[in-house]
Amino acid sequence: MSTVKIEAYATALFEIAQADGTLALVEDELFRVARAFESNEQLRNTLSDSTIPADRRQQVAEQLLGSKASNTTTQLVSLVVGSGQVRDLPAIVDSLVKRASSEKQQEVAEVRSAVALSDDQKTRLAAALTKVTGKPVNLKVVIDPSVLGGLVAVVGDEVIDDTVRTRLDQLKTRI
Amino acid sequence: MMNHFIALLANEDPTQTHSWILPEQAEIIYGGLASVIVIGALVKFAGPAIKKSFNARTAKIQKELDDAAGAKVTADSDAKNIRAALGDVAGERARMLAEADTQAAAVLNEGRVRITAEVAELEAKAEADLSSARGRSSDELRAEISLLASIATPVVVQATLNDQTKNELIESFISSVGAGR
Repeated sequence: MSTVKIEAYATALFEIAQADGTLALVEDELFRVARAFESNEQLRNTLSDSTIPADRRQQVAEQLLGSKASNTTTQLVSLVVGSGQVRDLPAIVDSLVKRASSEKQQEVAEVRSAVALSDDQKTRLAAALTKVTGKPVNLKVVIDPSVLGGLVAVVGDEVIDDTVRTRLDQLKTRI
Repeated sequence: MMNHFIALLANEDPTQTHSWILPEQAEIIYGGLASVIVIGALVKFAGPAIKKSFNARTAKIQKELDDAAGAKVTADSDAKNIRAALGDVAGERARMLAEADTQAAAVLNEGRVRITAEVAELEAKAEADLSSARGRSSDELRAEISLLASIATPVVVQATLNDQTKNELIESFISSVGAGR
């Protein structure tokens, strides 16, 4: 899909969520859905399989998100699946999050962790990243067991990596 | 005169002599005259020929002597040449032997140098092979250790990473970033 098309979808989703008054929640949920979609090949293949009727794929998406996400989020994902653009869902969501952050004068800070962060940890981490970047950050935490431990934060072009995985990689290189 | 002579001969009795050893006086006289005449004739007529013959013989002998002397000189010269040649042969032999010795020494020396160089080269190659083999073994061992370490380390680390440790790592990250790194 072209960048223009991705931006168009992102704008549409953004405006729907904003109009619904659930932008912050939807944005956060869509971000997590996008990361799950990226990391789960089976989910990716199922939702983008053109041999499966679109309505059936939409049903699958709605069933998966039904109890875990808000209705708006579920409907937006279903919309993207139904339009046959689900393979670009991560790019659309990233664009939406970036736009939402920009609206709030914030920088998107994608943080990967092996375990979930508490609200207190998120608050302190957002404050720390704000201090480092000099901009308020829109913290997005991704649970990624592959980092093993520690955190890696990506804010714009800056990467702050203090994960066990990276240390192991460095150790492996040294060995 | 002839008749007188013949008459004398006819009056002679050969069996009657006055001495058993000496002839008659007349015989001596006539015999002596005859002898003188014969000798004179011989000297007059045969002498030059005989003298010439003797001179020729003398010349021939002298020539033979001269030839012999010449032959001797030639022989001496040949002998000298041969001796000189023998001397040259000995010198040539000595020179050739010396040259052969020199060449043999050079070949021997060259052979020693070449063999020394080859031995050194072989030693260097063997040393390089050994070093290479040691390096390969070391590299293989290092690679094996690295492989085992890369396999084992994440497993060991994951096994030791409990929730508390993970939480401590998160706190450490927040503190580190908050401190301005």
